[in-house]
Amino acid sequence: MAERTVTVASSVGLHARPASLFAQAAAKAGVPVQLTSAAGKSVNAASILGVLSLGIGHGDEVTLSAEGDGSDAALDSLAELLGTDLDKE
Amino acid sequence: MSDNESKPLTELLAEASITLDASATGRDDAIRQAGAGLLAVGAIDAGYIDAMIDRENSVSTFMGEGVAIPHGTLAAKDSVKSDALSMVKFPDGVDWDGNDVRIAFGIAAKGNGHIALLSQLATVLMDPEKAEALRDATTVEQVYALLESEDE
Repeated sequence: MAERTVTVASSVGLHARPASLFAQAAAKAGVPVQLTSAAGKSVNAASILGVLSLGIGHGDEVTLSAEGDGSDAALDSLAELLGTDLDKE
Repeated sequence: MSDNESKPLTELLAEASITLDASATGRDDAIRQAGAGLLAVGAIDAGYIDAMIDRENSVSTFMGEGVAIPHGTLAAKDSVKSDALSMVKFPDGVDWDGNDVRIAFGIAAKGNGHIALLSQLATVLMDPEKAEALRDATTVEQVYALLESEDE
């Protein structure tokens, strides 16, 4: 199991725009990715509803996890996405 | 996430902001109706509605389960007077950039209010049975009962 713990950089947290960009990227990752909040709740990272339901704010820590071939590369790129301010317009 | 607390959905959604039998000519018309629901209760300035369309042009607010959550851009936060939710239901659906939308929840939020608000709404919609019941709701009482089921 590959894991990455990331601090969410989006200035307004993981809400509609960052959440949808993130979920789209997770859906294309090639492996199923789980997103877990600091409170310990896990959801499918490719589900916008799942991601939003976690209520992740700016500066919150989240953990990405995946299993199987390509997990490390997939998690690296998703972790980089979460570490970027996705809400810049 | 204690700094992101929000009122329960049922308090944010005024009865005057709910329309259950709407029809729209397209996505932008649907967004304007959701915006009108927020305007009706004084939660926003009219300018916020254009910002809702700007936001939608930037990234779709379609969430799945036939639901979209139009809201303004960050730059339009000043047009928000109070946190509020509106709900417009389109029984015949609206073509939302290729997605079939049955419910548009208009969202107005100051500060970080949107995070807790979206979390509550997403948690309701993640239950496919509740999402379907919400799409099929014909009375405001049904809507409130479904949204209340997540209030703590």
